[in-house]
Amino acid sequence: MRDLAERALDAAAVSGAGYADCRVVSRSVQAITVKNGEVVSVDVSDDEGANVRVLLDGAWGFAATDRLTAEGVEVAAREAAAVARASGRVQRNPTVLLPREAQRGEYTTPADRDPFGVSVEDKIALLLAADAAMAGEPRVTVRTGSLEFVREHRFFAASDGSITDQTIIESGASLDAVATSDDEVQARSYPNSFGRHQLCAGYEAIEAMELAQHAERIAAEAAALLTADQCPAGTMTVILDGSQAAMQVHESCGHPTELDRVLGYEAAYAGTSFLTPDLLGHFRYGSNAVTITADATRATGLGTFGWDDEGTPAQRVELVRDGVFNGYLMSRETAAQLGMESNGTVRGDGWPRLPIIRMTNINLEPGTSSLEEMIATTERGVYLQTNRSWSIDDRRLNFQFGTQNGWEIIDGKRTRLVRNPLYSGTTPEFWRSCDAVAAEPEWRMWGVVNCGKGQPSQLMHVGHGAAPCRFRNVHVEPAR
Amino acid sequence: MITRSRSELLSRATDALQHAGNAEAEVLVRDVASSLTRFANNTIHQNVSERGTRWRARLIDGRHVAAAETSGDSDDAPGRLMKAAHQALRVAPESDPSPLPHPDGAEDSPVAFAGSTAAATAEQRAAMVETVVRAAEARGLVAFGYVSTDAVATAIANSAGLQRQATTTRCSAVVVLRGEDGSGYAARHAADISGVDVGELSAEAVETCERNQNAVAQPPGDYEVVLSPYAVVELLTHLGWMGFSALAVQEHRSFMRLGERLMHERVVIRDDPRSEALFPFPFDAEGVTSRQVPLIDHGVCAGVVYDTPTAMHDGVASTGHSLPQPNTWGPFASHLEMQAGDTPRAELLAPIRRGLYVNRLWYVRNVHPLRTIITGMTREGTFLIEDGSLGRAVRDLRFTQSIVDALSDVRGVSSERLVELGEDESGVSAPWLHLGSFMFTS
Repeated sequence: MRDLAERALDAAAVSGAGYADCRVVSRSVQAITVKNGEVVSVDVSDDEGANVRVLLDGAWGFAATDRLTAEGVEVAAREAAAVARASGRVQRNPTVLLPREAQRGEYTTPADRDPFGVSVEDKIALLLAADAAMAGEPRVTVRTGSLEFVREHRFFAASDGSITDQTIIESGASLDAVATSDDEVQARSYPNSFGRHQLCAGYEAIEAMELAQHAERIAAEAAALLTADQCPAGTMTVILDGSQAAMQVHESCGHPTELDRVLGYEAAYAGTSFLTPDLLGHFRYGSNAVTITADATRATGLGTFGWDDEGTPAQRVELVRDGVFNGYLMSRETAAQLGMESNGTVRGDGWPRLPIIRMTNINLEPGTSSLEEMIATTERGVYLQTNRSWSIDDRRLNFQFGTQNGWEIIDGKRTRLVRNPLYSGTTPEFWRSCDAVAAEPEWRMWGVVNCGKGQPSQLMHVGHGAAPCRFRNVHVEPAR
Repeated sequence: MITRSRSELLSRATDALQHAGNAEAEVLVRDVASSLTRFANNTIHQNVSERGTRWRARLIDGRHVAAAETSGDSDDAPGRLMKAAHQALRVAPESDPSPLPHPDGAEDSPVAFAGSTAAATAEQRAAMVETVVRAAEARGLVAFGYVSTDAVATAIANSAGLQRQATTTRCSAVVVLRGEDGSGYAARHAADISGVDVGELSAEAVETCERNQNAVAQPPGDYEVVLSPYAVVELLTHLGWMGFSALAVQEHRSFMRLGERLMHERVVIRDDPRSEALFPFPFDAEGVTSRQVPLIDHGVCAGVVYDTPTAMHDGVASTGHSLPQPNTWGPFASHLEMQAGDTPRAELLAPIRRGLYVNRLWYVRNVHPLRTIITGMTREGTFLIEDGSLGRAVRDLRFTQSIVDALSDVRGVSSERLVELGEDESGVSAPWLHLGSFMFTS
């Protein structure tokens, strides 16, 4: 890999690049899916290639190839330079990268059990056991279970002398129970919905999920939702479970603190942000209970690594400190525009894609409460579990989320199961109404595997540490 | 530019089958050359080019099935692919795999292809961006968006004798122009780069942007609306995800009740992989010929799309809408179109005393699939309609609305249509729609 990267950097320099970097990436994925008691597929995939990014006369060019030969990467480097020259045709403010100290080192995800070392038979047995546990509920008509394991090797070299070599290992799983009747469809998922719950970890993460033990519960809940009462409507207290809190953080804090959005880089697609630079350091984003960090050093998060894809070391920064907007996710290019330095949040989706600012692990830091205490001190509200739908405007202010189920809370007691809950609000007003976050024992790392951004589209795996949390005076209604 | 001809690609796929041993085998290979020039703040800020070959094999041995994927153009790629597939097959337990399809004798046409797009350069894309930026700057506006050119050669072969091949191209130009207090959106997509007129595109975006300034707040509520094709495409694609698949019907997750009238008689929706406007492609990921499927016929649920597994379940023929097998997602309607009406676009607003015109919907998500409830925001062009005319700009609103309910009160369908890409990047053709009721919630 090093030889290929050096050939690419040499070719970029000969082509006139003032700065160049190269990534050689190989990704192996094993995916197993079980549906209604049968193994649907055992899929294995290998994908490897390289990309070259050049800065030439202040303009960027990027080319990616899966021709992993000296000739292949040299062609890519020359193509990147040609693309950069074309970029120069429409440039208003040439890009300048500030010098930095060269970065060198290696990083490997800590993993107790190599997930690729565990037999496929054992993995299938795990899924089939969970499927069997769901099968006891006849109103559940579609049962799905899946496992996915990723090993990604990322070699990075830059013309400033930086060289990093990293191996990232991911393990993920999901169970979904879909119950149907003549006039209703309801689903429950475990540990999370929309893809999988995934972590940077070995097979021990799968064992800790205890899939079979939770399968019967979600099947029963999906069936019960078919005839549950509709979620009550009104302005009330909302308690989010950890997975939904993670989604709330993702959409209403993670994305709006991406500095490329703020600077307009995503204005034609993902959108911009309400968190403009004039607000930095004093804007009241949330209540004093709200501290949100970007922490690429936190164990098991899908945004945990040694260096980002520009060779900037992984770090922990506070985006919101005690409720006050405190920082952005930044690349070398965008940070310089604010007179700051990158905080290591540039990531690319495999070898074909240009690295851009992405979330690492965006964490709602633990508070001092507990779910039990929050419920006990709520007069009227709902406890909402597991995301079902999410939507937010292009400045990340006006949001509406739905969850798979809810529990009505009356006079400090969790009472009846309710279906089709929706809650909505405006980002800062919502977070300012947060009066409690559960403490460390209920805090855990969640994984999101479907975060989309960029053109061409890139899917990123990001982490979110979160715990149950409570919000006052929230608009709640059922979907009907 | 892609380096292998489609016949060469098919030859490599066929050669790969020789590594299948006693198993039945299918090899799908795609050679992709993709470039995208992205601009923001009147500057090209991201400019990328990608070349790659992606292989996928499916092996079936009795009641065992497995799949493998790999990348690369090297001579050992087919061997690596089939070795990985065999390793997966050895540990695959018994299941009920659907059989490989046999050749159906259809032609590998029509195909959306233009050599000019396949040969497009970064300089050409930059020149198109320059045209947009100059148009923006001439009006004191700021330009954002992208111009892309893609060429994809696809070949599929299986041990039942099926062999298909096609090479497609697409050029897209998407523009958002921003003024002091508002923005405008426009997009064009065509197989031939010469069919994308960025001057006309810029003019549309300028007009929308200049009208969409100093927007006023409008209270949420139920409004009579006119939706532009950019917005209607969102309704169509979400209907597709929620219910136009045979698997969704078989699993009782779909709103479709075949034979029943659910929408207004003006609503005619079909999936047409052969439509010249919709980037035609002749076969699906199993190599089955893709056919036109009527989905909503004058308001009545007329059909759904099938792949081989769902077709076998219902005892019918596949319509050629398979994703790579095996999968749990089911078939997918990837060439949706809504039939045009007989009202000129310019006359669509005339009967509306008070309503809203919506240029674009954004971040649309399913809220309740069975009831086709979606939510999302308006974006880049929402206007009052007053006494039959377009009025002042309105601040973006959130909507939460059943699509079926919205399409039950269709008061006008334009005679013109536009092609826009859905969120999955498939082309969708839609008219302007006048709807009697659309619920904005905040």
